[in-house]
Amino acid sequence: MSHQSDTIHLPCGQMRGQGLGSQGTHTRPLEMMLHLRQTIEKHIMQLVTRHQQQDLVLGDQRHHQATGEQEALLGNLVSQLISLLRSGATGGLGLQPSYPALDVRGDVGGGQEAQSSGQPDQPVHQLKDPEATFVSQHLSNRGIEISASYQANLQDYRIYQADKYHEDTNPLGFINLGISENKLCLDLMTERLSQSDMNVTEDVLLQYSDWSGQPFLWEEVARFLTYHCKVPAQLDPENVVVLNGCSSIFSTLAMVLCDPGEALLTPTPFYGVFVFSSQLYSKVELILVHLDSESTDANPHPFKLTVDKLEQALLEATLTGKKVRGLVLINPQNPLGDVYCRDSLKEYLEFAKRYNLHVIMDEIYMLSVFDESITFHSILSMESLPDPNRTHVIWGTSKDFGISGFRFGVLYTHNKEVASAVSSFGYLHGVSGIIQYKLCRLLQDREWIDGVYLPTYRSRLQRAHRYITRKLKALGIPFLNRGSGLYVWINLKVYLDPCTFEEELLLCPRFLDNKLILSQGKTYMCNEPGWFRTVFADRPSAMYWFYQVLEEQKWGLRVKQPESAQKE
Amino acid sequence: MSTLPQRESRAPATCPGSASTQDLDSNYGDGLERECSRKPDRKVSEFCGAGDPTAMLSSGSSYLSSRGGVIKWFWDSAEEGYRTYHADEYDEDKNPSGIINLGTSENKLCFDLLSSRLSQSDMLRVEPSLLQYPDWRGHRFLREEVARFLSFYCKSPTPLKPENVVVLNGCASLFSALATVLCEVGEAFLIPAPYYGAITQHVYLYGNVRLVCVYLDSEVTGLDTRPFQLTVERLEMALQRANSEGVKVKGLILINPHNPLGDIYSPGELRNYLEFAKRHELHVMVDEVYMLSVFEKSAAYCSVLSLEGLPDPQRTHVMWATSKDFGMSGLRFGTLYTENRDVATAVASLCRYHGLSGLVQYQMAQLLRDRDWINQVYLPENHARLKAAHTYVAGELQALGIPFLSRGAGFFIWVDLRKFLPEATFKEEMLLWRRFLDNKVLLSCGKTFECKEPGWFRLVFSDKAHRLCLGMRRVRQVLGGKSQVAEEPHSCQAQEPRSQHR
Repeated sequence: MSHQSDTIHLPCGQMRGQGLGSQGTHTRPLEMMLHLRQTIEKHIMQLVTRHQQQDLVLGDQRHHQATGEQEALLGNLVSQLISLLRSGATGGLGLQPSYPALDVRGDVGGGQEAQSSGQPDQPVHQLKDPEATFVSQHLSNRGIEISASYQANLQDYRIYQADKYHEDTNPLGFINLGISENKLCLDLMTERLSQSDMNVTEDVLLQYSDWSGQPFLWEEVARFLTYHCKVPAQLDPENVVVLNGCSSIFSTLAMVLCDPGEALLTPTPFYGVFVFSSQLYSKVELILVHLDSESTDANPHPFKLTVDKLEQALLEATLTGKKVRGLVLINPQNPLGDVYCRDSLKEYLEFAKRYNLHVIMDEIYMLSVFDESITFHSILSMESLPDPNRTHVIWGTSKDFGISGFRFGVLYTHNKEVASAVSSFGYLHGVSGIIQYKLCRLLQDREWIDGVYLPTYRSRLQRAHRYITRKLKALGIPFLNRGSGLYVWINLKVYLDPCTFEEELLLCPRFLDNKLILSQGKTYMCNEPGWFRTVFADRPSAMYWFYQVLEEQKWGLRVKQPESAQKE
Repeated sequence: MSTLPQRESRAPATCPGSASTQDLDSNYGDGLERECSRKPDRKVSEFCGAGDPTAMLSSGSSYLSSRGGVIKWFWDSAEEGYRTYHADEYDEDKNPSGIINLGTSENKLCFDLLSSRLSQSDMLRVEPSLLQYPDWRGHRFLREEVARFLSFYCKSPTPLKPENVVVLNGCASLFSALATVLCEVGEAFLIPAPYYGAITQHVYLYGNVRLVCVYLDSEVTGLDTRPFQLTVERLEMALQRANSEGVKVKGLILINPHNPLGDIYSPGELRNYLEFAKRHELHVMVDEVYMLSVFEKSAAYCSVLSLEGLPDPQRTHVMWATSKDFGMSGLRFGTLYTENRDVATAVASLCRYHGLSGLVQYQMAQLLRDRDWINQVYLPENHARLKAAHTYVAGELQALGIPFLSRGAGFFIWVDLRKFLPEATFKEEMLLWRRFLDNKVLLSCGKTFECKEPGWFRLVFSDKAHRLCLGMRRVRQVLGGKSQVAEEPHSCQAQEPRSQHR
């Protein structure tokens, strides 16, 4: 577990501040100075170019904001600098509360350091962070580990939650293109959910229900999946388990399929939260099957998953004494946006069957395929599954319906034992009866889904995708051009010099400085530095800002490179 | 009664939890059997009817891990009784001969009030921010409202702070999360027994934390003033015993008002328990989920949050939820209040897995904010209804000459049916429980509360009069072979004379 955890524990913040952490204290003011100077340069540059932008309607507004931000940043930097110099005189440098504990808990040092040393680089946000210390005499070791890992992983998320961008109420807030949220159809969803049929408060909804969900919802989910996954025979409501989100489903599956220390195979890059989920409670290790971005003659498709790779990874794991219990696949893939073809799916499932591996298939983006030339194949659509008792499908409404705040996830499994075992966790992951009712109404409304929601959603996705890919092309940034998901997998290698994960991490704060959050490849366990996932399912203004920042970034980097070379 | 599942089948040598799971039984009574028997209330009771878990587990599964097998056992152990009840649930019109549930601690007296309040237009807001990923510790507006609400109803000397509030999907999750972040695998919490048995499963499933029982007696001896009285001496003894057996105890769980006893701790008692915990550096988790369900005016309830100067505020963690006090167990809303920011943050770190919908968070905030409705409509009416139902059941029991405990809080009466057991064994207790079920009334037996004396049952009275009457009639029928059945005080349209199983 520890190997995996080490990697996931690496937060942006840590690297962001790492240079500072490892240097002597008196270099800090220098760093600050440099940062300050850079900001001033940027500020002036923006002032100069401002009226050039004025013909761009959106840009005008954003630039006002940007300039305002730069000013705020300046003010903050200056006062930081002063206080830093002052505390430097007493030798403390503001790191006192957490350092002593570091000696005791070396293993969580990464997270800890992230908290404290992330400060100088993030002058805007650090002061707002009320949760700066989490090494506590009151917590268990695993409590500390959980806290540390969470803090490290979700630092950006918390910054974002505290200062969310909103067109009207908080135009200076953070734009989060790091979190895969579908913000394109909030109008449709809000409207649909406000209709009167949604508001039912019956006794039965207020009482304890079956812990694996309300029977009426199992039935609706079974019907819904049968229809949308094109299942040959009607799915059985008894095989449905409903919990509060797909992370919960994954966590419980890991608990009941694996013993502590056992492992699951998974191709990378892949959705990083699964790493956290597998360590958190279940202490299951993930064996990573690294895919290559290079396309070869034999393998013309970048990041292509092949059975050979699976075989090899399984063999290596087995040789090191690991007990591998299953294979985790995401289809449509996150973060690549790939959709597996039917034959590939079959091969993966056959591979799993050969080795008695469970297959956990996450199909949470199944309705988010916006390119009409691509056909998504749910494994539930297969005429005969190679090993139905070891095949478990996850779906939820968070992505496809853009309601991540609903906390709803579904497990479909033919294996009654697995369904029962997962249901034991039902009341640790229960969904409110009122919400179950709303979901049932939503999934039932075939007419609205097929007639209104999905066509609109997909055309908006497509438009947003077209916009972002056009901009990426204009900027000369390579990316994977796929037709599904809410994100593009982009390659920013050209901005990294040298092309290392350290440099990749250093790029994040640059985005943060511009109130933009992106997620770097490292959090997807990608083994090549330079890849980022950017979400495009956001408002046009947000996407425009992203483009602006990249443009400036490009400029900023060219200036920055010789400077950083000097430092070394 | 069921025996333990085979050890080797549930704990592989590599499992960090294995050691602790293995000696659960040797030191603390029924160990895993106890662990496994906990389902939420209604299931707890039905566990008694479970088949032979050894057979179930020893057959093994080629699909589940060893741990998965144990976890599944929790589910299976409840299946028979659970299925029996749900397959044959009483319905006045559709299934008048169905099973009446006096086993699940749910307040079914106020759905009319709640439904009408929750249907008002202020509840129906749908905003984009409620549909998106939330702050995992709960939306700010809700945490602010919870802080205000608890400050008021717990009579906190100073206003409580929203930063100290974490919102989750129910107290079950909260127990699980606290166990995980406060204890290592295999460590333990002290808990006075009898207690709400589901906690065992809550702290075990993910946390692999065990409970060390502080057994209480129905006999009043020594300095005790009431049956099942918790004293510091008993706490000390239980802690010592655990220590001597090498069990690391990290905390103490208190339930106040108590489930299933209905006891309310006095401020003096509370302080003594807290001082005890402080002396031994134990965390105290105070479950106050029934705090507004004190229907007897003479019973003065005191929240731990009302105490001036908590002995060890950094180790005192308070839990509350709307499940009981607002009769909405299906809503899944629970909250933690702790001054310990590390604990709050650590629990919040788990909230991705135990979160609740933004729309429900909004509704809860609206509900808690509506002080007028709560004070003038809901609480007076709820208390009056609880009291009426309690009076009825207490009268019935008195008429039957059955001793019971009840102190004016909660939804249940702790009933002493020891004289109905031919032998003072848990086997006989289960047989009696089954006779109730066969006669279509579901109760919870003392075993599932880890009561050490066979023959105690928890009887829930917070149900509508017609169901309650019918339920009590069926209880009388089972017990009444000997005792003459009193005339029904209310005229119940009980349709069916049930055959008595003797």
